[in-house]
Amino acid sequence: MENMNESAPILKVEHVKKSFGDLHVLKDISFDLKAGEVLSIIGPSGSGKSTLLRCLTQLETVDGGFVQVDGKDMVVPTLRQAQGPLGSGPAVKYAPAKTLREIRLSTGLVFQNFNLFPHLTVLQNICLAPVRVLGDERKDARAMGRFLLKRMGLEGKENSYPCELSGGQQQRVSIARALAMNPKILFFDEPTSALDPELTGEVLKIIKKLAEDKMTMVIVTHEMAFARDVADKVIFMDGGVIVEQGTPDHVFRESGNERLAQFLSRFSKA
Amino acid sequence: MSDLSNLLPILWGGFCTTLAIFGLTLLFSIPLGLLIAVLKMSKWRVVRYPVSFYISVMRGTPLLLQIVAIYFGSYYLSEYAGVDFSFDRFPAVIVAFSINYAAYFAEIFRGGIQSIPKGQYEAAYMLGMTRTQTFFRIILPQVVKRVVPASANEVITLVKDTSLAQVIAVTELFALAKKQQAAYASIYPLFVAGVFYYVANLLLSVLFAYVERKLNYYK
Ligand SMILES: Nc1ncnc2c1ncn2[C@@H]1O[C@H](COP(=O)(O)OP(=O)(O)O)[C@@H](O)[C@H]1O
Ligand SMILES: [Mg+2]
Repeated sequence: MENMNESAPILKVEHVKKSFGDLHVLKDISFDLKAGEVLSIIGPSGSGKSTLLRCLTQLETVDGGFVQVDGKDMVVPTLRQAQGPLGSGPAVKYAPAKTLREIRLSTGLVFQNFNLFPHLTVLQNICLAPVRVLGDERKDARAMGRFLLKRMGLEGKENSYPCELSGGQQQRVSIARALAMNPKILFFDEPTSALDPELTGEVLKIIKKLAEDKMTMVIVTHEMAFARDVADKVIFMDGGVIVEQGTPDHVFRESGNERLAQFLSRFSKA
Repeated sequence: MSDLSNLLPILWGGFCTTLAIFGLTLLFSIPLGLLIAVLKMSKWRVVRYPVSFYISVMRGTPLLLQIVAIYFGSYYLSEYAGVDFSFDRFPAVIVAFSINYAAYFAEIFRGGIQSIPKGQYEAAYMLGMTRTQTFFRIILPQVVKRVVPASANEVITLVKDTSLAQVIAVTELFALAKKQQAAYASIYPLFVAGVFYYVANLLLSVLFAYVERKLNYYK
């Protein structure tokens, strides 16, 4: 939102590759995202969606390609990649630790299984990092925590422990925890997959509200209707490559791609 | 019964020594055990291997032998190798108990640390927390809860193990009780000493049950 240059992407991903041993999980991933946009990533399980998010949030390192977040280069290809297999040394170079940390602080991640801190109350979960990492005043952090909880529809749950909450409530706390760090991009890895079906709605509603508030988000999801409604842009991944990308209308209606049609047909039947 | 009024002050003195061994051992072995646990999980083999060896020796040989080895080992070293240092009896006992119990605690703590899901580290990492912050604010508090039951067993065993100190003539509770047994020609002093041990452990059990209940505020 505060980006001066409206058209400059806040997230730039070019030719990203990632292998686990001989398994090429990401083969050649390129896309970009502007501030305030929402990107949905869909695709069969095992197609590399989580790995992509983990690479972009630095939980994994890439083996090739270029990633830029909010104007800062996170990882760039080295000469070797340009020279082909004859060169030696690593194919990518990561930014210095300080830059990587800055980038990490500008990205948030909401996990499939929440990963809340079980020994801390809801409010402590939310305030810990703002106080300890950003150096906020405890009083301010708590006020912001309460404000965020209200936005998440969790008023009065400040002093509960995660184990006392439903899955949907826990996921909303984890969204609040991520938002408390004031990230520029928020990543979601199947935020409703661990929830009972009747609890997915409350979480999806919150994410939609964030989209209306122009939060930049990248959302991996199996909720097709949600993926279509919330997104400005949709990516369909299969086998470590982006098979199709474009507007929701393009991906969900106009694309004639066979793999995509086959994938989507599984959901329309259900 | 007039026996008891003579006996109690004597045994009480021994019990104080027992308590000192107990307290000092816990004081040193718990932090040391935590350090050893962390070292054993090091990514460097040069750190991991010696630590594993140390743990296996401590667990694979009798504590009794270790006490004797440390006391007489340091004695012979100073006598014959010209090293100007040897342990007195009591410090030797504390050192032997501490490094022995540290090995046991280390294995308990390592199990506890490794039982914390990876997602906890990842969540902390995404929030920008340093490794130190993550360990002390996220991991360790959860480890404490998980290791309390197993640690309680060790602590209760320690109360009884203190009687091994008599092997190098440290006058703890059991050593004194045995001497009194000879003097009185009666098993009675041993019985009283047993009551001391038993009551101490009863109190510890109550304490640990309380701590476990206190830590039950989350799952
Ligand atoms: N840490 C890892 N080590 C080895 N293989 C992995 C690892 N993480 C993911 N994979 C493999 O990479 C592939 C893609 O996984 P993932 O990114 O989780 O897919 P998705 O999220 O689309 O279901 C799978 O075959 C998975 O088994
Ligand atoms: Mg996944």
